Amino acid sequence: MYLTRKAIPRRALLQSAGAAMALPLLEAMVPAATAWAQTPAKPVPRLGYVFIPMGKDHTRWTPEGRNLDELSPILAPLKPIKDHVTVITNTRLQNAYPGTHDTSNAAFLSAALAKHTESSDYFLGTTVDQLAARELGRDTQLPSLELAMDLNPLAGVCNNGYACVYQNCLSWSSPTTPLPSEAHPRVVFERLFGEGGTPAARRAALRKRASLLDVFVDDVARLKQRVGVPDRVRIDQYLESARAIEREIERAEQAVASNLTPDLDRPVGVPAAFADHAKLMFDLQILAFQADITRVVTFQLTREQSNRSYLEVGIPEPHHPTSHHGNNPEKLLAIAKINTFHMSLFSDFLQRMKDTPDGDGSLLDHSLYLYGSGMGNPSLHDHEDLPIVVAGGAATGLKGGRHLRSEKPTPLANLHVTLLDRVGVHLDSFKDSTGRVEDLFERAL
Amino acid sequence: MRLRKTLRIGLLALAAALLVAVQVKMSAQAGASANPAEPKGSPAQSQRQFLDRYCATCHNDRLKTGGLSLDHVDLSRPDAQSDLWEKVVRKLHTGVMPPNNVPQPPQADRLAMLTWVEGALDTAAAAHPRPGRTETLRRLNRTEYQNAIRDLLALDIDAASLLPADESGHGFDNVNVGDLSPTLLDRYISAANKISRLAVGQSSLQNDVFLLPADLTQEEQLPGLPIGTRGGMSRTHTFAQDGEYVVQVLLARDLAGTVSGLREDRPHELLVLVDRKQVATFTVQKPANGDDTLLDKDFNVRVAVGAGPHELAVTFVKAGASLIDTARQPTESRFNDRRHPRTVPAINQVSVTGPYAPTGAADTPSRRRLFVCRPAGHDQAVEERCASTILSTLMRRAYRRPVAAADVAGPMVFYREARAEGDFDAGIAAALSAVLANPQFLFRVERDPQNVAAGGVYRISDLELASRLSFFLWSSIPDDELLDAAVRGRLSQPGELEKQARRMLADRRSYNLATNFAGQWLRLRNIDAVNPNASLYRDFDDNLRQAFRQETELFFDSVLREDRSALTFIRADYTFLNERLAKHYGIPGVYGSRFRRVTLARDSHRGGLLRQGSVLAVTSYATRTSPILRGVLVLSNIFGAAPPPPPPDVPALDESAVASNLPMRQRLAAHRTNAVCASCHRSIDPVGFSLENFDATGQWRDIDVDGQPVDALGGLPGAGDYRGVDGLEGALLVRPELFAGTLTENLLTFALGRGVEYYDAPAIRKIVRDAHRDDYRFSSLILGIVKSVPFQMRSK
Repeated sequence: MYLTRKAIPRRALLQSAGAAMALPLLEAMVPAATAWAQTPAKPVPRLGYVFIPMGKDHTRWTPEGRNLDELSPILAPLKPIKDHVTVITNTRLQNAYPGTHDTSNAAFLSAALAKHTESSDYFLGTTVDQLAARELGRDTQLPSLELAMDLNPLAGVCNNGYACVYQNCLSWSSPTTPLPSEAHPRVVFERLFGEGGTPAARRAALRKRASLLDVFVDDVARLKQRVGVPDRVRIDQYLESARAIEREIERAEQAVASNLTPDLDRPVGVPAAFADHAKLMFDLQILAFQADITRVVTFQLTREQSNRSYLEVGIPEPHHPTSHHGNNPEKLLAIAKINTFHMSLFSDFLQRMKDTPDGDGSLLDHSLYLYGSGMGNPSLHDHEDLPIVVAGGAATGLKGGRHLRSEKPTPLANLHVTLLDRVGVHLDSFKDSTGRVEDLFERAL
Repeated sequence: MRLRKTLRIGLLALAAALLVAVQVKMSAQAGASANPAEPKGSPAQSQRQFLDRYCATCHNDRLKTGGLSLDHVDLSRPDAQSDLWEKVVRKLHTGVMPPNNVPQPPQADRLAMLTWVEGALDTAAAAHPRPGRTETLRRLNRTEYQNAIRDLLALDIDAASLLPADESGHGFDNVNVGDLSPTLLDRYISAANKISRLAVGQSSLQNDVFLLPADLTQEEQLPGLPIGTRGGMSRTHTFAQDGEYVVQVLLARDLAGTVSGLREDRPHELLVLVDRKQVATFTVQKPANGDDTLLDKDFNVRVAVGAGPHELAVTFVKAGASLIDTARQPTESRFNDRRHPRTVPAINQVSVTGPYAPTGAADTPSRRRLFVCRPAGHDQAVEERCASTILSTLMRRAYRRPVAAADVAGPMVFYREARAEGDFDAGIAAALSAVLANPQFLFRVERDPQNVAAGGVYRISDLELASRLSFFLWSSIPDDELLDAAVRGRLSQPGELEKQARRMLADRRSYNLATNFAGQWLRLRNIDAVNPNASLYRDFDDNLRQAFRQETELFFDSVLREDRSALTFIRADYTFLNERLAKHYGIPGVYGSRFRRVTLARDSHRGGLLRQGSVLAVTSYATRTSPILRGVLVLSNIFGAAPPPPPPDVPALDESAVASNLPMRQRLAAHRTNAVCASCHRSIDPVGFSLENFDATGQWRDIDVDGQPVDALGGLPGAGDYRGVDGLEGALLVRPELFAGTLTENLLTFALGRGVEYYDAPAIRKIVRDAHRDDYRFSSLILGIVKSVPFQMRSK
């Protein structure tokens, strides 16, 4: 677990004004004795996915050459970290058709066809982060962490015949189990570190949770005998969730037993500025990795059809209607600015990952991230030539600083299986994949 | 599949238009030859002719426009293809079909056709009811959970901080509630834990932080705060135990970190009030050296507060309040550092930390509700009897059914364990957490009777009916009276059912229909995400945002509570305003922050939902109105002719060919030159245009953003062209059964927690017909639903 010895001054910061609250969760803290440091054997990779909605300005995304010496305007923020990123051009999501926004989100990590329904018979596919979590999450308290930025559920914005889960849930642990994400920093923090207290109090709290879980399991099992066969499938799913929580509690108990108590101050609210909020959510990923609470993260930086205005980069018009740009130069420029802004947040995060020590290197050295969108040209609502960036540090073997452009449109699923390989999850194929992305990494694992 | 379909629609719409010229000849031939077996002059033959003349020119075997052919439908048994016929009914009824670019049937023929189809379908449905199947397992969603805790424990919680958001389907967030991911389960368990401690009064030290919206103007008195104050916040906060609490206040600062609104060297008095009693006063004054970094460092006070809910208010004394102040226009909003900065300091955040030196909880509403007995003395058997009484009373409400001794045994184990380590209260708190973590509380379960064959239909039990009623009208658990009626088996009796439903509508808890149902039906929920651009809409702030919400909620609730005609939603001569909103609307004579009913002058431009700031703002973008969003909302949720979703293959409109300085209407017109777009936007855009007199914040305008007079020419399928919001309302009221039907569909979706299907249409028609005889009174729609087949029955 995670130790900090001088976190106290941050309390004042976190609890003061909104802007100050967003100050780095990390700067005042130095990891003192992570499990990593004690077991330097082989760094375990972490895998993260960052989703951006509504594609890109295709005129300002793609780099010219085969390397990143000359960055395109949207990719420019990656400059300080470009040796650790590779841009991949000409991937597509066949199974995101015939849907639009809903399926851009749904297919991004599932590469699966979303069943066209608004009812509870929704059906998609297990997402790659969840396939990775089954492996990477075996020993961590949380197999995976699902994060987002949008706090308010909106009415009436995802009813094109597709249930809202498709548009809002990036991560699915089974074709019928969408995972809700969390946008509130404090709630995420408590999920990671509990409500705090002395080791004895924490242990008691965990025992209490375990016994409440038993109540749930016992009664659900009883209920199962009293419903029809189709409904028993649902109940089995509840029981599976219960087992996942049981495991989580066990892991947390072990952490208490190893006597490493987190002494972090929790963030109190949601910063008003988008960038501050995003930074806090990225910092929580770093914290979760450092404390080895999870090794798999998905982060929806904004959801599809967002109507956010990006005044911070001079875009008063809302994102979604602007993305229907129709090649209007002003609208394209606006989309480019939004793309660039999102990219700058990701780049800042990568740089902080690089500056965070971990084992024999940095956190970035032991992490792989896929950043991108399930839509290509938003004006066409297509799922072609997706904006895709892969980031990773030395230990992952990623050959950075490059631009891989395939001649023919290639399924995004090819990249998914390639990344899964890297974290030790080997699939022959995944959905519409036709092979691996060649030459992305230095050497075979 | 949809891809192909849409392409076909697009191409064939063009083809259809070209075929109009030869249509009459073609249909005459078809009429003579399609079904030669049917005797001439029979009813079936006139329907055949109607179809051939007005429908089958496109919907035939060869073209199959929209994937539909009517060449060989069996006119002797419409109920055999009721899904197909219900589509026909809807298109004919709304006037969406035949499209307005082909010959229209005479009104009498259209009505005759409708009467015949509907009659056949309704007769068949009466003989063989198809109630549909609600899901067996449905977890309480966030709103239901919050309300259930309120009713079960007299405890107000903020469920949004305890549970993740629910995802919607069919427009409502109580539809897709069958799954339970690990995250959800984890959060329900945590919630059970926290709530049980809070209800009993066992919570330990905790810190609650209330952030005020950054765009809240704090220059005047705010709703819910005492007269003579300005700005700040007031909320009911549940204090966990009798003890001491530290209330800390932080002031709003600008981006540079300077305290906002601290202009001149005069003191501002900051008050902390508990139950309206002043517990602390701080003076806010510009420091001599100008450095205000530490100005609010010591704005904290330690106060003794009893356990339970208390009104905590933090506000400023209003200095120099005068009528001149309130008459000030136009800069109502003052929060934006650059454009319209605060003139006086404001509050950013209030935090409550405690309890310190807690002494338990003596008397709180939660404890009064929970502890229906107190054990006399410490005799174990006496205590256990009392614990058992407390738990069975609680569990009956929580599980929405009578409980047996075996049910109580589980929580009693928790009680005994905790009692052994602590006191009686600790035992009850532990048992309560076990009840709240139980799937019988967390899930609504509807079970099939054994003796019904698969596919058979049956009446749901009285207890299930009680839950359906309470979750429909209150989004909460049944109360004791309702449960008693169900237990005695009387609820399914028509008289009793109606009596209970009317009682529940009259109860304050039915306000939930205004917040939760209307919040989704009219998308009022999205108002928190409405952020009009500050340079274009200088007067928008959180005060106005909340006023928008309040107006529509109160208006909806007035129709419900006064049992007015549902058509009041479309046209009304009153609304609810406070000073802030009245000024925004340009209505004189409304003073103060309190909302009140205002009878509207004829030229006020207000009255009816379609003129309310809330509805108009949630269908606008930050920088402009959206005729498309407005058109879609009206067509889908008011009129009942939802346009199909946008095609996946959006045609590559080259906007560079359309001058961006053209007015909105012309830019959209350019889009409609494309046949694929036009097929839907032909009906969407005109509805939106007719609301163009309202800007993105719902203010009336005669000149649009392009400096042109507003052109509010609009049109509604089957009603032709009209002008402005008056015209739109008039067109809607010509066929009130369409709006009543759409409202009923939305209510039924919400009531059942499932999408409305074609086989529900006969039930909806019956509800609307019956309500028509009662002038569409709100209660007639609600009672119609409650008595309907889909509400009372279920398919196995």
